[in-house]
Amino acid sequence: MRLRLWGVAFVLPALLFFAFFKYGPMGWAFWLSFTSYDMLSPPRFVGIDNFASLAADPVFVQSLQNTLGYIVASTLLITLAALLLALAVSTPVPGARACMSAIFLTNVMPIIAVCLVWRFLLHPHGLVNQLLAPFGAGRIDWLTSDTTAMPAIVMVTVWRFAPYFMVVFVAALAAIPAEYYEAAAIDGARGLRRFRSITLPLILPQLFFVVVVAALLSARLFLMPYIVTGGGPGGATRVLSMLIYETGFSYLKMGRAAAISVVLFAIVLALTLAQMKLFMRDEEA
Amino acid sequence: MTTRRDFLRRTSAGAAALGVLGAPALGAAQGAPTRVPMKLTYWTWENPQQRPWQKKRIDQYTQLHPNISVEFQYFAFSDLGKKVSVGYATGTAPDGFTTGDWLMPTWLTRKLIAPLDVQQLGYGSLDAFRNDHAPAFVAGAVHEGKAYGYPLWFYGVPLHVNTKQFREVGLDPVKDEPKTWEQLGEVAKRLTIKDGSKFTRQGFKWAMHASQWTAFQFNPILLQCGGQWFDKHGKCTINNEAGVRAMTIRASIARKYGAEDPADSLATAPVPWMDWLKERCAMFSSPPIGPLAVKPINPQMEAEGYYKAYVMPGVTEDKRYSTCYGFNCVVNANASKEKQEVLHHMYRFMMSDLRDCWIATAPLTLARKSGWTELPEVKSTPNIEAFLRAKDTGVFLPRTPVWSELADALHRAVQKVMLSSGDIKQVLNEAAAEVDRATAELKKG
Amino acid sequence: MKRRLPGLRWLGLPPLAGLTLLVLLPVLWMLSTSFQASEKMFQLAMDWIPRSWHPENYPNALHRAPFPLFFFNSIVVSLVVMAGNVVFCTLAGYGLAKFRFPGDRFALLAILSTLMLPLEVTLVPTFLIVHSLGWLNTYQGIFAPLLVDAFGIFLMRQFVLGVPTDYLEAARIDGAGEVRILWRIVLPQCKPALAVLALFAYRDSWDQFLWPLAVVSRDEYRTYPLGLVRFAEDYGNPQTEQMAVAVMATVPVFVLFLLLQRLLKRGFGLTGLKG
Repeated sequence: MRLRLWGVAFVLPALLFFAFFKYGPMGWAFWLSFTSYDMLSPPRFVGIDNFASLAADPVFVQSLQNTLGYIVASTLLITLAALLLALAVSTPVPGARACMSAIFLTNVMPIIAVCLVWRFLLHPHGLVNQLLAPFGAGRIDWLTSDTTAMPAIVMVTVWRFAPYFMVVFVAALAAIPAEYYEAAAIDGARGLRRFRSITLPLILPQLFFVVVVAALLSARLFLMPYIVTGGGPGGATRVLSMLIYETGFSYLKMGRAAAISVVLFAIVLALTLAQMKLFMRDEEA
Repeated sequence: MTTRRDFLRRTSAGAAALGVLGAPALGAAQGAPTRVPMKLTYWTWENPQQRPWQKKRIDQYTQLHPNISVEFQYFAFSDLGKKVSVGYATGTAPDGFTTGDWLMPTWLTRKLIAPLDVQQLGYGSLDAFRNDHAPAFVAGAVHEGKAYGYPLWFYGVPLHVNTKQFREVGLDPVKDEPKTWEQLGEVAKRLTIKDGSKFTRQGFKWAMHASQWTAFQFNPILLQCGGQWFDKHGKCTINNEAGVRAMTIRASIARKYGAEDPADSLATAPVPWMDWLKERCAMFSSPPIGPLAVKPINPQMEAEGYYKAYVMPGVTEDKRYSTCYGFNCVVNANASKEKQEVLHHMYRFMMSDLRDCWIATAPLTLARKSGWTELPEVKSTPNIEAFLRAKDTGVFLPRTPVWSELADALHRAVQKVMLSSGDIKQVLNEAAAEVDRATAELKKG
Repeated sequence: MKRRLPGLRWLGLPPLAGLTLLVLLPVLWMLSTSFQASEKMFQLAMDWIPRSWHPENYPNALHRAPFPLFFFNSIVVSLVVMAGNVVFCTLAGYGLAKFRFPGDRFALLAILSTLMLPLEVTLVPTFLIVHSLGWLNTYQGIFAPLLVDAFGIFLMRQFVLGVPTDYLEAARIDGAGEVRILWRIVLPQCKPALAVLALFAYRDSWDQFLWPLAVVSRDEYRTYPLGLVRFAEDYGNPQTEQMAVAVMATVPVFVLFLLLQRLLKRGFGLTGLKG
């Protein structure tokens, strides 16, 4: 009994905190999403008006598509890049560990600095185009053309986050017993086949972890499009979190902004359900 | 001159300077409006000349009236309106603040700012106040027979050109002044230098980085083409024939004349005029630029004086006008009577030494008619005729409670046209629909 | 691998070093640009080592805006957030890993479910709550919603699961109190995980932009990201000075990273799944 109380006592502060700063606000957001509220006069109940008008609003639909596209693309590419980097720095090459630490530095740089730096690098006459020029690439307007702006933001995201997940993979790879590979070598398995039949199954839990966490990270993205492209050109990189801020704080439509929050919540909920399922499986294994 | 100014300051009679210069008689405004300690908050926007000058004047004011202290805060140009809105919603709005005059309807429709007592500002009557200011300003600041804004600066948007580059390509800076948009395009084309896909020099450059700039640059073209932002029922009409024509003109510098690089302009944000100052573009339209802005960036350009300002071109030569906009000091309707009175007093003090204002912020013109245009410092300012004409003939921005939505929608439309070769009619249809949705929601709200 | 000559291992170094250099180019560019003359920005050929050094970019930038104050604010907020996470995440993680109580499984689910509610989603109501507490324009207004993070709790729980329960039982039999057990037995074994937790809590708070943007409207409490964005928006500020500020903003996190590096190496394995 005494131990039970101690357990509750340890967990309670965090739960209270979340009740106050997470569940409470989300409940409030749900209520606000059914109201019209400009913060200057009291909220007025309007039923599903906000959602109905969102569904008919091309700007919202475009932001929703941008968000989903961004989540899918950046999650896949972050995972792929992290895995490739991990494989590269896990080779028995001298200095591989130092390379890993150096690559991890992209995670130490503040996001705001990342955004400002990449805005210059992706300038029509910036470093990226300068480096591509010898390969015959012409001028690419990375951030200002509606076909390349979103891919460019994804690229910056990958650059920033992949090295973090690389470290997760490195640890997983290091945990694979050497005997497995030796046995595979005797069987004549090499390269890709060895990767598919030994490495991949053994790092599967981490792979799932990375996919889910990267997706959660991407869903809340705000700063990169806000700073790097301002949501442009023509709304091509506007994501839901930006739309929430703009709708609420620029146009003072808090009810509508709350409705967008609920949609974003639904997306993240779907991602988290996947995550839950994964954690449970891990517990049982 | 220093001695005289020092003397004025010592006698705390900045206001008297105005009397000397023939402005409205200000009477004995020197006395403090209150003796009790008072703490005021005042918000403004970030600008390299205007923000420090406001700060300086307010500091001088609180030195004269030690019982009054002012908490001075400033925000990025595009953030100030948002911050004030949120401030009102949460009861943390400042007692006084400066606002772009295009945002006046946002405050007025919600009754957030207090009417001003023009007599406390030194005017005998509202008519005297009206007559002392540019009409475009009065239209925004006076509402239902009351004044709500006390103006600071108010300026048109002239065309700045680099005369050295004009001569280089055989143009005469006097004879070849572009008076119509076609002429501007032709001149810009001749001034352009390209190295492959890279513009070594753009002939002319529109701002691409912020919706406010997009709106004030598009505004006069739309009106010159006979267009309107809204019809009398409040429906957005930027997608009619005149709107399409205006956008076609806006796009022609890049599309028809190949004289600008909009992608470069946007990517080089937030420096729309830096390229002109660094001579990477030959012509640019912006609020008045003078020695204070030129010298720190390009000392040679300033020393040799090879720049010039014209009034903006028009659809035809008789329709040469630009947008005219400015900044008002306003008073929070929720501030106490005493605070409101002190703010009147402080605003009047701030604008009571227009010579000092001009020296610190030239050539940004002032909304007031009296008291400064005859100053020798003003008369000797390069290009002052063009700046004054741009101010006096300017048209104002649409004054609407959905201004933010309107400017953002237009900004997206311009980006789609300039960067993604969007179809002009279709893009404007989308923008008009967005604005109409915002209007409908405001009515419902 | 054993069959290969040891010298062959060196053959892998050039491509790996090349890859590392490629990944780090933006960081090097930032460093180099922060010392360049401002006209050098978009020149066709980049001089990675500046032809002429301009260290004055740093003091100049600091003079144009109250950056020392902004950095101070950021450090205060980030340190509090770091401390809050270290304390509360450790407590909760320990409680969830080593104690059975009614609803413990539900508590874990409830905590993990907050991952669905990042500040970006609950921005509007959280703002209204902080306002109703009178915390706009205060330090507590900025750090309060960041004090506990579900990731931290999960990380600590996973790690504490790996601490043998026998140790705890033995201590209890010896009559040690629960707080003492946590302090003397559990914590010393958790140092790598604590290092990871501290670094990421600090960095995430250091990176916050949207939340301070919403709750702060006074220079006194402005954190450096707000100052840097305002700085970057001002026409007059050279881009080389923006990079100088960006470098200065990188330093504190980098220092923390170096300080914790030894522990981090052991801790990183845990940010994956198993302890």
